[in-house]
Amino acid sequence: MIAGDLHAEVEAFLYREARLADEFQLDEWEALLTDDFHYWVPAGRIVGEPAEQLSYLNDNRTRVATRIRQLKTGKRLSQLPFSPMRRIISNIEVSDLGDDEISTKANFVIYEIAAQSTGELRVWPGHAQYRLRRVDGTLQMSAKWVELVTAEIGQRNLTFLI
Amino acid sequence: MRKALKPWGLFSEERIMFRFMGIDYVQLVQGDRIHASLLHDPDAFAEEMDRIFIRGWVFVGHESEIKLQGDWVTRQLGNESVIMVREHDDSVNVLANRCAHRGTTLCWEHQGNSSFFQCTYHNWRFGLDGAVRAIPFPDGYTNPKEQLGLDRAGQIDSYRGFVFVNLDGSAGPLDEHLGAAGYDLIDRLCDLSPTGRIDLSKGWIAHRVQSNWKLWPESDSDGYHVGFVHASMSAATDTYYDEVAVGGDAVSSSRAVDYGNGHIELDFRPSYKSELSWLGVTRDKVQGYYEALATRVGVESAEKMLWEGPPHAFLFPNLFLGELVIAIVEPLGPGEMIHRHTSVQFEGVEKDFNQRLLRQTEAAVGPASFITSDDAITAERIQLGISGTHRSWAQENRGWIDLSRGLHREEVDETGTRLSDASDETTNRGFWRRYLEVMTRSVPM
Repeated sequence: MIAGDLHAEVEAFLYREARLADEFQLDEWEALLTDDFHYWVPAGRIVGEPAEQLSYLNDNRTRVATRIRQLKTGKRLSQLPFSPMRRIISNIEVSDLGDDEISTKANFVIYEIAAQSTGELRVWPGHAQYRLRRVDGTLQMSAKWVELVTAEIGQRNLTFLI
Repeated sequence: MRKALKPWGLFSEERIMFRFMGIDYVQLVQGDRIHASLLHDPDAFAEEMDRIFIRGWVFVGHESEIKLQGDWVTRQLGNESVIMVREHDDSVNVLANRCAHRGTTLCWEHQGNSSFFQCTYHNWRFGLDGAVRAIPFPDGYTNPKEQLGLDRAGQIDSYRGFVFVNLDGSAGPLDEHLGAAGYDLIDRLCDLSPTGRIDLSKGWIAHRVQSNWKLWPESDSDGYHVGFVHASMSAATDTYYDEVAVGGDAVSSSRAVDYGNGHIELDFRPSYKSELSWLGVTRDKVQGYYEALATRVGVESAEKMLWEGPPHAFLFPNLFLGELVIAIVEPLGPGEMIHRHTSVQFEGVEKDFNQRLLRQTEAAVGPASFITSDDAITAERIQLGISGTHRSWAQENRGWIDLSRGLHREEVDETGTRLSDASDETTNRGFWRRYLEVMTRSVPM
């Protein structure tokens, strides 16, 4: 059993992470990350060794910094303007791994408008696995792995923070 | 008298009707401009799927995807779903993904391994060669079994693992289609591998784009847009594209090349300012690779190849040789397509080296990438821009797309290859010249 206060703390973290991503508060989102952060969106299920696979996205900390820097140039056509979007997070499970390491799983649905081109509403259902770490008393995110329900049929523009 | 209807054919009377009522490609595809209606006209799309994807040569896949006997992958070639399979004698076959009995899709997964294909409707069973193997309650049939097999590609040919098909079998041989340049471009990629062999079995990633398929051969080989569409990539990263394309003709000495037959290249070789620029490393980081390459091709060739890197080229109509990425252009409808890509993997290198190629591919190409995601949005914006045009506007001088850039400085060499500055629309014109040839050539009745 996870103590109620840890579950509530993790839940609050996930909601905040989701809101910062939805609102393109890029610096604030980046501030949630540890120096060894790993961001992964596989082309199928979350299985196997990420480094050995060709994925939609497989960012180490340096590359995610580049991703954010590109979004902030004001010239990133595929996010010009930023997609209006909101995500709902649910089915949150929390495992305390000890040593200030926490593993978390959740389901999500994102509703996004393709404001850069067709203007259509796009729906992105999926599952995310997070690794959180308590650093100086506050939670930070050291991994976010995202498994899309649509992983195997291909994607439209995926240049927002999923 | 009416001729009998042949597979893929049309009645001669209907062909004459086409002349009068159909699309006048000669009017719509001119040397320095094309009519925008061709990018969304459903009639043009239907004819392209027939003329280009059924009657012409198209890339279907790579032999490394089906290493073992019975390995198969499915692929979409225009309107046709096909199965590329390795047979029991190790040969590669391409079959219609459609039961010969009632048309049921045979394989609905992307890949697998089977010793036969069995339809789920009435359990008809077909061998890897497409021949019917077993039919439940066979007493009900009197037609010869040979008539009951799967549709097979009329012609299959491959070069260094790249498998091409001509579904109706009416095109000339593959070498007429690829020409010397097509083979040379494939050589320039494969030769970079220490064994001379590449592997494309890391899986394909599908980028779904709401644009006409023909915008991608152009986009993939257009040197003019790089500094604009990819300005954010250039600003955010330290990229070799700065020296080969972003700065435009003032900085780069790259060339736009049209080899004929619709095969086109942005030749970056003159622009690289250091060896291995295309890999984003210095030699000491990949010493093992260099030594393995030099062992096979000799030091002099290896040094040269380290400078020149892989080609950035498009082979008509659907294969992008995107340096260390291979992509297939897959039309789904007049305004819908998939840009499907995988990462080139070399044989005979350390694991770290191929992982570098995977990471480089993820950065460059796909829906979450730093580069082609912006091309996709651009293609979608073009599609929105041209979607109201109609082919009847051509005479009224409305709805044209200008492709005249650099026409005055284009050179033609002794082989007929056209060359110009990298930002010139020589590559775009090369694609459309071939398009016009294919869409207007007479089809055997």
